Amino acid sequence: MPRASVVGAGMTKFGVHDSTLSELFAGAALSAFDDAGVGPDDVDALYFGNAMGGQTENDTHLAPKAASRIGLAGVPCQRYEDACATSANAFKNAVHAVETGVHDTVLVGGAERCTPVTGLGTDEMTRIFASASDRHYEQPTGLTFPGVFALLTKRHMHEYGTTEEQLAHVAVKNHANGQFNPNAHFGKETTVEEVLETPVIADPFRLMDCCPFSDGASAVVVTSTDRADSFDAPVDVSGVGHATDVVPLGAKPVPHHTQAARDAAAQAYDQSGTTADEMDLAEVHDCFTGAEIMASEAIGFFEDGEGGPAAEAGRSALDGDRPINPSGGLKAKGHPIGATGTAQIVELTEQLRGDAEDRQISGAEKALAHNLGGDAATTVVTVMEVRG
Amino acid sequence: MSALTHEQWAEALREGDLLGVTCTDCGRTYATPFLVCDECKSRDLERTALPREGVVYSETTIQVPPRDFDGPYQVGMVEVDGAKVMARLEGGAAIGDRVVFDDVLEEGGDPAPVFRVEE
Ligand SMILES: [Zn+2]
Repeated sequence: MPRASVVGAGMTKFGVHDSTLSELFAGAALSAFDDAGVGPDDVDALYFGNAMGGQTENDTHLAPKAASRIGLAGVPCQRYEDACATSANAFKNAVHAVETGVHDTVLVGGAERCTPVTGLGTDEMTRIFASASDRHYEQPTGLTFPGVFALLTKRHMHEYGTTEEQLAHVAVKNHANGQFNPNAHFGKETTVEEVLETPVIADPFRLMDCCPFSDGASAVVVTSTDRADSFDAPVDVSGVGHATDVVPLGAKPVPHHTQAARDAAAQAYDQSGTTADEMDLAEVHDCFTGAEIMASEAIGFFEDGEGGPAAEAGRSALDGDRPINPSGGLKAKGHPIGATGTAQIVELTEQLRGDAEDRQISGAEKALAHNLGGDAATTVVTVMEVRG
Repeated sequence: MSALTHEQWAEALREGDLLGVTCTDCGRTYATPFLVCDECKSRDLERTALPREGVVYSETTIQVPPRDFDGPYQVGMVEVDGAKVMARLEGGAAIGDRVVFDDVLEEGGDPAPVFRVEE
């Protein structure tokens, strides 16, 4: 029994945008409205994600501001913040609200601006991103977010023999996929050798192992499974798992296991009565190449330690047996923090409708999204399925 | 009653002592303050002095630092008495290397421990 249905999906192109957060969100929201064939009068609430607007743009109380631009003032509006898992958490709550009858139909999405259009340089934005690490026991060391995932990845390499070449294969694959996504920030044919020639950011990560700073927005219309029957192209949400892990990183027993992701995936598989083997594709949180390898193991696509060799062997490519990040992932599609979670839901919706064109995983019937926040202390995992 | 507050942890660090808390029920040690044990949920945590020597659990060199920091510099998790503490590393430490707590950094507004590779 599905928990809810996505009946409309939209996103802006991810990249550099000079428009305001509210304008960005309106672009995604109105295209989700049009896709669903609804207007503001059909929507009962807005669940809005934005992670850092207060720090980057001195802009808070964003849910009613975003709602006002699109005719939604009047309905209950709320804003979510859980670092990079911001809009997946908004989505989780929207699913729960329509499932339990709190609301009939909810608009859920997110918007963020991270590029220099904010007026902030790399050092300032790096500092703002680092605010998601522990304020007292991590930030004073000068740890950055590439640094957080570098620490996890380096231990993974130590434990399992994962190599820099295997990391580079993830970048090559996701950039290749990004070419086929018209909304992706980047996308090109590149090679492992070219990736390994880019400058080091935080070893083992080079520039091409890291997702870009992006601006963008995404939105989906979520309704109850009963109401979904009256829409043209509903896709069912059959499970949403959400787990957290202890902060700081040093208190996690085995940090590179990303335990919250394992727990959230177990919940999502349990709710949907599915297993990892049944998933036709996954969108995972590849903020860094090493994060995709750890995610691919945490969601059960590959055994622990096999994520690197699997990437190298092409198993997670569009034509592989376990496709991961057909959209290009955060790596190529881009990572406007608060928009990333629901952008994964947009990709799952397009894939399960068979509308993903040149990046379509043929015959996709079940798909998973893995959206991670902070030092892996938050993860939301969603399972979606073609409506039965 | 807290076994260890942040202020006490920070003040001790400035004086050259690395403090943590140990759960008297399950025995797990943490290198930072907690009011409840994450492992067994006991509130019976007591302050503990962590050893000055540890082993590098993971490390990276930050080439692109945040505002207020000058790179490059090495950051890592150091295992001390079964607990892991985030620290600045000196001397080109690798995973598994023995390191010694011998300095405190205050660039980021709060103190952070500095560990150096053992000669
Ligand atoms: Zn305990």
